[in-house]
Amino acid sequence: MSAAREARATLTGLAWCAPWLIGAALFLFLPMGLSVYYSFTDYPLLEPPVWAGATNYARLWDDPTFWRVVRNTAWFVALSVPAGLIVGVVLAALLGGRVRLARLWQACVFIPTLVPVIAGAMVWMWLFNGELGLVNRVLGLVGVRGPAWLVDETWVLPSMVIMSLWGVGQSVVIFIAAMQDVPAYLYEAGRLDGMNPARQFWHVTVPMISPQILFSAIVSTINAVQVFAVPYVLFRKPDGQNPAGHYYSMYLYESAFVYGQMGYACAMAWLQMLVIIALTGLMFWASRRLVHYRGGGAGA
Amino acid sequence: MKAIPRAALYVLLVAISAAFVLPLVWMLSTSIKPEAQAASGAMRLLPEPAGDTLTIAAENYGKVWNDPAVRFPLYLRNTLIVAALSVVGMTLSSAVVAFGLSRVRWRGRGVVFALVLGTMMIPFPVIMAPLFVVFRGLDGAMEAVGLLPTFESLRLMGTLKPLWLPAWFGGAFNIFLLRQFYMGLPAELDEAARIDGCSQWGIFWRMILPLSRPALAVVALFHFIYVWNDFLGPLIFVNDQDQFTLARGLQLYQGQAGNTPWNLLMAASAMMISPILVLFVLTQRTFVKGVASEGLK
Amino acid sequence: MSVGTRAGTMTRRAALGAMAAGGLGFALLGPRGGGAAERQAAASGRIVLDYWEKWTRHEGDAMRRVVDAFNQSQGRIFVRYVVTADIGQKSMVAIAGGAPPDLIGLYAFNVPGYAESGALMPLDDLAPRFGVTLGMYAEGVRGVMTHRAPGRSDGPRWWACVNTAGSVALYYSRAAFREVGLDPDRGPRTIAELDEAHRRLVKRRAGSEGRGALERVGFFHPEPGWWSWIWAYHFAGGGPGAGTPGIYDAAADRATVDAPANIEAMRWMQGYSRDLGQREARAFKETFGNYFTPENPFLTGKVGMIVQGPWVANLIGAFRPDFDYGVCAFPTLDGQGPPVGHIDTDVIVIPRGARHPEASMEFIAWTQRQDMTELLATAHCKPSPLAVASESFLANHPNRGVRVHYDLFRSPRAFHAPRTRVWQQIKDEFDTQVQRVWRDEAPAEEIMRALQPRAQAILDRAAEQRRRRGGRVGA
Repeated sequence: MSAAREARATLTGLAWCAPWLIGAALFLFLPMGLSVYYSFTDYPLLEPPVWAGATNYARLWDDPTFWRVVRNTAWFVALSVPAGLIVGVVLAALLGGRVRLARLWQACVFIPTLVPVIAGAMVWMWLFNGELGLVNRVLGLVGVRGPAWLVDETWVLPSMVIMSLWGVGQSVVIFIAAMQDVPAYLYEAGRLDGMNPARQFWHVTVPMISPQILFSAIVSTINAVQVFAVPYVLFRKPDGQNPAGHYYSMYLYESAFVYGQMGYACAMAWLQMLVIIALTGLMFWASRRLVHYRGGGAGA
Repeated sequence: MKAIPRAALYVLLVAISAAFVLPLVWMLSTSIKPEAQAASGAMRLLPEPAGDTLTIAAENYGKVWNDPAVRFPLYLRNTLIVAALSVVGMTLSSAVVAFGLSRVRWRGRGVVFALVLGTMMIPFPVIMAPLFVVFRGLDGAMEAVGLLPTFESLRLMGTLKPLWLPAWFGGAFNIFLLRQFYMGLPAELDEAARIDGCSQWGIFWRMILPLSRPALAVVALFHFIYVWNDFLGPLIFVNDQDQFTLARGLQLYQGQAGNTPWNLLMAASAMMISPILVLFVLTQRTFVKGVASEGLK
Repeated sequence: MSVGTRAGTMTRRAALGAMAAGGLGFALLGPRGGGAAERQAAASGRIVLDYWEKWTRHEGDAMRRVVDAFNQSQGRIFVRYVVTADIGQKSMVAIAGGAPPDLIGLYAFNVPGYAESGALMPLDDLAPRFGVTLGMYAEGVRGVMTHRAPGRSDGPRWWACVNTAGSVALYYSRAAFREVGLDPDRGPRTIAELDEAHRRLVKRRAGSEGRGALERVGFFHPEPGWWSWIWAYHFAGGGPGAGTPGIYDAAADRATVDAPANIEAMRWMQGYSRDLGQREARAFKETFGNYFTPENPFLTGKVGMIVQGPWVANLIGAFRPDFDYGVCAFPTLDGQGPPVGHIDTDVIVIPRGARHPEASMEFIAWTQRQDMTELLATAHCKPSPLAVASESFLANHPNRGVRVHYDLFRSPRAFHAPRTRVWQQIKDEFDTQVQRVWRDEAPAEEIMRALQPRAQAILDRAAEQRRRRGGRVGA
């Protein structure tokens, strides 16, 4: 193409992309830039920001509440992401094969992901009630004395992980689709080699869907690091916040909108983003050895 | 799964499905009981006496609908408004941008696309607080040029606009989805249309868009559900209780002093979920395909 | 579940279409915020004021009656009563967003934070023009209405008017007292007497495992658990007025969480928890009904004594009018001298950026009239915040213990919530730690000593930020 036509083509292209470019500038990049700036200021929201150097970051280091929420969030990510992947893959294996009423089972597992987090949190709050909730009543039937799931600090993490597993349906659907794409001849070859179904699963199925597992791992991690709505509803109460149920994004939100420390909140937000980038990078790096792409190259 | 005998497999499937659906069943069951029984934790599906089920259900759901403190119909309306405006905006704008990134040849296309992809990883908390300032700033700018308070309906803060306005600028994820779809359409279509004298916009509007209906459906569906369920957005931007959405309003049932009326809360939750469930039943195939295509990148 | 036939697809499309149409119709024609009355008022040229208030149910109805009376008394202003949950938080964000309401009903402890960030409109000049002066109010109540102005070191300014005022006292079941041999006309005066009454009132279910499931307790700190921090004041013999700082020393801007009074109070509370048994106490608490229901644990006899405000008389009147209750000031260590108690009030303020401040003040002046205030106070079962109360008001008051609450207004040893901008954050921290004390996770002293530097850090940060902004510290 000639230079003039190229220039015109570029302008046209930009024109088509204008909505996103303008929107991203206004609603993504501008806030991000402001966020960096605010993280170096005192900004109580009602008054203009005042430059404060790196004090916000320094204070984070000394803030026991900050470390508490980091600890809680870290544990949650460390447990819920692998649990979700394992459960997701296992369920996909069970539901994806040739079973009658496959659609029905898949629907049952998928529907919880459509439930608004708020409504889901309320239902689980009720189910996990120490004295009157269904979970403990069922446990009582088999003679087990159930704990105070949402009050006892040792049981907060397990209850959060269980609630996160309830939403595993989305991964399951992805895995099922991926499993159905695995070429049959691979299984044939495996059987001829004398592999039993379990080994086939481990050596054929799992590697073949590893790109999807990676995708699911990344998305789950990003979501887990940002967990907010469920603990906000369950653990932040008028008679006190349950310390085990205090998570990173909650403290961020509180700092910005309740305690009037938006600069502090922005500092927290940037650290969070760095952690997400680091974790994602880590997973991609690990994937080079663990993830098998058909066609040899990286995904589409 | 050939490793497991058939009978055991089906038992397992039933058990698993039941476990996943149980909370919802319990939600429904609690919503049709009177408050005392709902709060008692008794393991009964139906209220006692069972014959009163319909009357109690009608009472509970009626109370939720007519509650003067938690105005469900109002929140429903707000949610519908935000959802409608948001979905239309998102679908159209994402389609436009995706077109520009797939069917138009220009330098820098790859760069912009990479940018779009990159932004998918930006966590919301990073922009959450400053976004508030941005909207306020936009109001301030409008005041400075005299648009406000002359045209008060342009004001952003204190309205529902921050919830649906950004959708009109496209969403990275949807742009990606639609672009992949467009890339799959044969290039000869454009050629043929151009020979027929169609402008670029015409190609988009009259040919590509109609052809991409299935993908558009996926985008619309998923975004609708996202907006319907969104809690954090309204939490930050909507403070006037008259403008609450359902997700935000539902939290009002969580009593201030442990005062939660469980039966009403479950009834409200059930009402909030039901349109989504109906939608799912009607569009299950689209759903599943959409979710699956997400992961198969 | 797949509906694969042609007819199936068409029915599905039809259903979807119907849903979309229904949704759109509802969106266009559905209910709107605000009511018909308000729209009518706007149409007839009246100024419409938005009044965000926290009260619901009968408390809200009472305020609505005041609002209606105002709207009917003149034709220039129309006030719209909007129930708002989480009001302390939401109002801040609304004011910050530049679209605030015209009037807000906050809690007294919100005032320092709002005032210092410049979120409120000062009333010093505005109020007297409508006949409202500080002298109108009872002395104990005046303290919440003023606070320092942002960035200034001259005297405090007037930021809020009190619409209802309450204080926290001890309510006990006279029937339960009689049952265990205590004098129903004499509530406990010292902590020791309180402990004794509690011991006598504790009843356990025979034959259950462990210590025995609880059926009734005397005093139970988590019920209602709304004021986790007040015990220190009762162990110290009062608040700033009595010369002791409680948990916050305003003059030095220091947290005094590790002061002996608070530590002793926390030890005392932990003693109760240990005595009752962790598991038993927790299991017991989960059987409590909600506050405003007939299953309220005080009404059902599960808890024999509770700290509460005067509004609890409303609860009793609503569900068990024949409940025989007694009221007294919450005990102190030695039981001597003027009563000690927390004064908890609701205030009404005009936010910065309100569009019609004069109209707002006119409405506030209306609510501060003696007849209106007494209407509200009677409906809320609270004492009146005004210095002068009519005879009929006192004589016909629905709360038989209202004089106890009045005495607290007049007592020099009564105390408010710490008047600092960061009280919310300190209180959140305090609440969390108090829960740990109650759950016996560590000795009370250890937990409080660990909390002291954290609370102080919060205060120090606020002071540093004030300095950076150029305001005088401790102004």
